[in-house]
Amino acid sequence: MQAEPAPFDTRTLLLSARAGDRAAFASLVRLHQSSVYSIGYRMLGRRDAAEDLAQDVFLQLYRKLDSIETLEHLGFWLRRVAANLAIDRLRHAAWSTPMSDDLPEPVAPESDDDPLMTRALSGLLGELAPAARAVMVLRYQEDCDVADIAHALDMPVNTVKSHIKRSLTALRGKMLGARLVTAEDMP
Amino acid sequence: MNEDIENRLRNALRRIDPPDGFTEKLLAALPGREVPARVTSLRVARPALPAGRWQRLAAPGALAASLLAAVFVGQQIGERRYANEQRAGLEASRELMQALRVTSRKLDVAYQAVHDHDAPPANVDAEESRT
Repeated sequence: MQAEPAPFDTRTLLLSARAGDRAAFASLVRLHQSSVYSIGYRMLGRRDAAEDLAQDVFLQLYRKLDSIETLEHLGFWLRRVAANLAIDRLRHAAWSTPMSDDLPEPVAPESDDDPLMTRALSGLLGELAPAARAVMVLRYQEDCDVADIAHALDMPVNTVKSHIKRSLTALRGKMLGARLVTAEDMP
Repeated sequence: MNEDIENRLRNALRRIDPPDGFTEKLLAALPGREVPARVTSLRVARPALPAGRWQRLAAPGALAASLLAAVFVGQQIGERRYANEQRAGLEASRELMQALRVTSRKLDVAYQAVHDHDAPPANVDAEESRT
């Protein structure tokens, strides 16, 4: 999770944005844009699609600011809308092919991981069904607990647990099959 | 085993930043925001709108005044009718008494006349005794 300003500051930002202060709204966007953009990118697999989705999510937020009650609610609301919008677009559009752009996988600045492994895992994640992919993104990118994921995606807790278990098994099998890892790497 | 995959996933799925200019592009696309109209509660609005209060009280006030006027007029009519009836009764009583008095006088006259007719005159009696 990324560091965020003190709650008092972000609370003030929320109140100011509600009152029509665009600079305050821009600050709220900057606080959450990496979360929303990353959900779009992991789900849709394309940067242009992720940017388009993030723009739509924040435009919705701008119209619904009065319904946002707290800062926790704001974060939850953004994750929920982004994930569900991405699922809808995967189901109704042609960009369900994961990682279809030819640009290199963007890497988080602080990451010191193998970029090949990162790209391979993202690609394997893109082979999961939309709902399972959303569960995995919320769980391992956003660090949400099972109950929050169930609430955000409107699915039972046991279904979320089942998605996580099956997806982990499938990913492990694909990694072994693609020889990205050996059995010794994953005891 | 799953723990290892989970750690790899967390590392692979770190958040990434959107391209430069994302926020500026978003702000340029923002529509005009309609700030909701300030709603003043009725409790606050009442003192500022006395005409409305008088208008609201006018109808029940007029109804109450009409009822009072109807009761008052009805009472006056009743009293006047009672007085008229009382006056008419007294008049009738007076007329009856007058009629009784007149009748009584006439009966007296008639009785006197009958009495006078039945009694023999004093001079006739004296002449008959002389014959």
